[in-house]
Formats: sequence, structure tokens, C-alpha cells
Amino acid sequence: MKKIFVILMLSVLLLGLVGVASAAELSGKITIWCWDPNFNVAIMEEAATRYNKINPNAEIEIVSMAKADVEQKLNTILASGVKKDLPEIVLIEDYNAKKYLESYPGAFADLTDHFNYSEFASYKLDFMTVNDRVYGVPFDSGVAGWFYRRDYFEEAGIDVSELGNITMDEYIELGKVFKEKTGKYMQAGDPYDGGLMRTLLQSAGTWYFDEKGEPNIVNNPALKEAVRIYKEINDSGISKETSGWNEWVAAFNGGEVASVITGVWIIGSIKAEESQSGKWGVLPIPRPDVPGSVNASNLGGSSWYVLENSENKDLAIDFLNQIYAKDVDFYQKILIDRGAVGTWLPAQKGEAYSAGDPFFGNQKIYVDFAKWIEMIPPVDYGLYTYEADAAIMGVMPDVYSGKISIEEALKQAEDQLRNVIGG
Amino acid sequence: MVAKGFEKIQDKWGWIFISFATIFLALFIFYPLVYSLYLSTFSTKGIIKNFVGLGNYKRLLQDNYFILSIKNIFVILVIQVPIMLFLALIFAFLLNDPKLKLKGVYRTALFLPAVTSLVAYSVVFKMMFSTEGLVNNILINLHIIKEPIRWLLDPFWSKVTLIIAMTWRWTGYNMMLYLAGLQNISQEVYEAAEIDGAGKTAQFFRITIPLLRPIILFTTILSTIGTLQLFDEPMMLAAGVTTGSSVGPGNSLLTPSVYIYNVSFKYVPNFGYASAISYMIVIIAVILSIIQFRVAGEER
Repeated sequence: MKKIFVILMLSVLLLGLVGVASAAELSGKITIWCWDPNFNVAIMEEAATRYNKINPNAEIEIVSMAKADVEQKLNTILASGVKKDLPEIVLIEDYNAKKYLESYPGAFADLTDHFNYSEFASYKLDFMTVNDRVYGVPFDSGVAGWFYRRDYFEEAGIDVSELGNITMDEYIELGKVFKEKTGKYMQAGDPYDGGLMRTLLQSAGTWYFDEKGEPNIVNNPALKEAVRIYKEINDSGISKETSGWNEWVAAFNGGEVASVITGVWIIGSIKAEESQSGKWGVLPIPRPDVPGSVNASNLGGSSWYVLENSENKDLAIDFLNQIYAKDVDFYQKILIDRGAVGTWLPAQKGEAYSAGDPFFGNQKIYVDFAKWIEMIPPVDYGLYTYEADAAIMGVMPDVYSGKISIEEALKQAEDQLRNVIGG
Repeated sequence: MVAKGFEKIQDKWGWIFISFATIFLALFIFYPLVYSLYLSTFSTKGIIKNFVGLGNYKRLLQDNYFILSIKNIFVILVIQVPIMLFLALIFAFLLNDPKLKLKGVYRTALFLPAVTSLVAYSVVFKMMFSTEGLVNNILINLHIIKEPIRWLLDPFWSKVTLIIAMTWRWTGYNMMLYLAGLQNISQEVYEAAEIDGAGKTAQFFRITIPLLRPIILFTTILSTIGTLQLFDEPMMLAAGVTTGSSVGPGNSLLTPSVYIYNVSFKYVPNFGYASAISYMIVIIAVILSIIQFRVAGEER
């Protein structure tokens, strides 16, 4: 009896030692830079707690900053070439990813061999791939939806079952009818915000640039259509004009508008108005009327990147691997708590994804979003998305006023874009 | 001998004392100045540098955004600066009246905007001037306008909003400078003028303005440089829905400083080109200051 006890004790001790030894290989501190305390930061904190259960030797510090500050700090620290005090992990918006990867070659860790990328949504990979090497861990999706007020649509006698694959023109017509019947706006938005433009472009499978990265503006039928849609929306009076994020959110929180077409991340803001619970629903987005367009797209979203020269690079990679590419339960938790739709596909077989959401009238919205995610046409955002956005939006006042034609506007925008990129 | 040794020690301490300031000045002012001039001869993409010589400056002259940003600040310079300085002069003149009661209250009220944070006040103005904001509501209720003005959604009105905001923020600051200047003008001059039968208006134009000329010149140059470097207000007023694609409607609030920021941080980081833009602004500031000195300065 005593012998057995001793052996047991010894083996426990030994096992403990082995355990300590293997964890000691990966220990240290991971510093993470990201923005949005209610979303990315909170999600990373959840991930950190989970990883600490697997590897208690990792100390994880999450630094919460404004998005612009993360970008500024990253730019300055990478441009200066300093290798000290680099964070291990940074969050980068998908539209910006290639810009960083190509402007700072060698600054980001090549993750190609560390992750099974076939398990991630394919549209999240193009912009984080340079010369066939993948540098990021895809995180949240900006899969777009047409969020609408069930009660308003009912009041106006709109049959939702026929709105599964409509075009933007049909959407605008619907908006006019709706406004006539109820006096309310169909949507709200800043006429100079490029969000809808990017949503429409991606749903048509194109971008501001062609495969070679050359500006593709004047001869881009989808872009021409998108500009026409912007003007049409502006002329039709179906959109309540807002300026800035707060006004925009206030427009649908205050019940002034019937719907909003945007990325899935808006759910948190929609749900902030608890009195509207049960009154919302989600439809596939209307598509631009060009060949090849689908009723699914993406707006925004971001991914995690590991800095090559950071102190505990391997630990950081292990952390991202254990949680973001293995933990199904983690993805259920962040979906329920934060409305974060991950792009690691196995997670979408989880329980939370198939549950109905009472806020959305028990619609199984995440089943729909998961379906749409797979439909999103992959697009390489290239390096200059924001330059292009600014060039197009810069000519919009003259398009709205009718001073110049859409063709002329696109020509001016392309000239301007080439000017900014050139040199 | 003793005196010489003492002088030597004194000399040494003198050098030590000024060395701190000199080193920091060199490190944080002169070095960046020289380095950015060097940098402005490169076109950069992050850490990838290409020598272009004067290429950046040539490119600037054809860059529509840069030209637009210069146009934008010139509109502000020509309209906002004179209005603000004139208002500041009037306030300073009124507050300088020795018979005025509650001087401290007025002075505080007028100066208070100048101590508010630039970002905070810009955000408040953005709210007040939204299409359904306070300002439109008041104007509609007073029956001054029928339709709400699209303050921040129209290229023309967005500039008006910016001008109103800046005037609110900076008038008190300039007023304080004028008030300080007015302390050097003896009340006797005004008394004499009053005895001679000069009214308040005549006093203002014939005494206050001419005697304050050096200070007016000083504030003009300060305001001009301030306008050339304008950043916080347009940046905050133009903040958009998801990303803020243009700086104000049709880039109507684009200023050179905002453009520098975009070129460095929002767009593909081109620090070389950004440096060239900042040098261009320096050149413009110098030229404008020389002109102002010539026009308003003392003739010697």
C-alpha cells in the first residue's frame, strides 16, 4: 500500500515537473495593441483568460487605444526601425492590411505554416497574403446585412419574403413607397461616406483597383453603378442625412429610419436600444445591377498580426493558434456577449450560431450571416483603399449638384487618385 | 590672476547652464528641422525610400489635394482672421473703459473659450451644428430660416461652421493680447481726445488702432501661422460615419496639416512627401509674414 502511494506521489511530482518544463518553453509577456473597449479589447481579454488556463506562464497585457492611435504608433515605430518595446500582436483593419505588409517588409511574422488557413473564410485571406505568404490571423467579419424594422415594414405593407435578392434600384423604389406611406426615411447616412460604396463594389466582386493594383475607376462598371446609386439615393430623399457616427446611430436608435445596410458589427449598436427588442430583422443586402453581383458583401472587419521582431513572437503565435484557430467555445462566447462574428469557419457549427435571437424576432440571424459569409466575393483591397475612397468622395458634391456627369466625375477621381499614388 | 580664475569658473558654469537648453533645442528642434528637409527629397513607402531630389516639390505643385487645401485655408485666412481680429479689438476697447463695471466677468467670459480643449469644443460644435442640432432649431423657431441649413453636409456651409467655431475659440485669446497692449496707451490720450470732442468711434479708429499697430501686426502673423497649421477643428468637424472618406463634404475642410496627417498615417505612409508639404507651409508662412511686415510694419 505504502509503496503504491509513494509511486503515485512520485509520478505526480514527475508529471508536474514535465508539465512545468513544457510550459517553460513558452513563457513571457504578450503585449497587444487594439481599439474599441467594448469589442476587440473585451474579446482579447476573454481570449487571454482562456489561454492562461492552457498556459499560466504567459502574461498578457492588452493596451486599449483609439484606432487612429494604433495606426499612428505602428507607423512611427515601424518607420523608425526600433526593435525594442514592440507589441507582440496588433489589430489591423482589413482595408489597411496590405498597406502595412508592403510598406514594412519583414516587420510582420510569416504565419503561413502555423495556421490551417483553409479553415478560415476565403475572402479574409487575399489582402493578408503577399507573395503567397500569409501574415495574419483572420478575426471578425464585416459581413453585410440589411437590418430592417419589422414593425415599420409591416405598417407599410411590405412583404419581406420577396426581398431576398433585390437590386439597389428596387431598394430605392421601395424606399420611396415606404416614405410616401409612413413619412419615415428608409435609411440614414453621410452622403460623403464611402462605406456603402465599398459594400457595393465587393458584392460585385471588384474594387477600386485591378489585379495588378492599377486604379480601375473610369472603366469599372460596378463603380459607375455605385456612384449612380449614391446620386439616386441622394435625389430620392429616402435617406436621412447624418454627419458622423453618433448621429448615424441615433437615427436608427431613435426609430427615425426603417433600415440600415452595413456590417454585422452594427448589431451591438442596434441592440443598445433595448426598447426595440423583437422589432428588428435582417435581410440579404440589395445588390448593384451589374453582371456577377451577389446579395452578400462585407464592410470593414479586422485581423490580428504578429510582429516579427517582438520579444515573444512564438508565444504570441501559440496564443493566437490555441484560441483563434482551435477554441470553438470561445467563438460562441464572443458571439453571444459581443455580437462578434468570427471568420474561423468551424466555429460556425457551434450552438450560438444556430440559436434564434429574440431581439431580431427569434430570427436565426447568424445562420444567415454564416451563409452570406461564404458568398462574399474575395477581393484584394490593395494598398490604396482610403486614397481611392477620398478621391471618389471628393467629387461627389459636384455629382449630387449635377455640375458634372458621372463619367466626368470618375475621370477626375481617377486623375486625382493617380496623382496621390504616383511618385 | 584671482579674478581671471573666477571669470573662468563663471564662464564654465555659464556654458553648463545654457548647454541643457542648447542640447535639447538641437535635439528636438534643429535635428528634426534638418532631417525633415533631408527626408523631403525622398519618396517613401514605409521603410522603402527612393531618392527623388526636388521631385516631391514638383509633385506638390500638381497635387490637386494640396492646392485645394491651400485654397481652403486662404478662404479662412481672408474671411475669418479679419473678422476675429476686429471683434477682438472692439471687445478689448470696450473692456478697457475705466468706467465699465463687472470687467472681470466679461473678461473671463470672453477668454474662457481660449482655455477649452480644441477637441472638446470641436465636438460640441459638431453637435450644435448638425442638421437637427441646436443652432438650426433656434434659427427655425425664431423664423429666421424655414429649412434647416445643412451646416456640415454642404461644402459652403461647412466652411462657415468652421469659421464660426474658430472665431468663438480664438477671439478671446487675441482680445487678451490687445488688452495687454492697451495698458501701454495712457488714459490721458483718451481724455484729451474726449475734451477735443472726439466720440468713441473716432477714438477707436484714430487712437486705439494706430497705437496698437505693433500688436495688431503680431496677432495677424500669429493668426496667419495658426491658420496655416490648422488641424484639430477640421479633423473633428469632418469625422465621418465609419471612416470619414473625405475631409468635410467635397474635401471642403481639407487643410495642409490634415493632408500631412493623411499622407503619413491614413494613406500609404509617405513621410518624405509629408515633409515636403510641411516645408512648403513654412515657405508660405515666411512669405506671408514678410508681406504683413511690409504692409503694416513701422517704416524705418
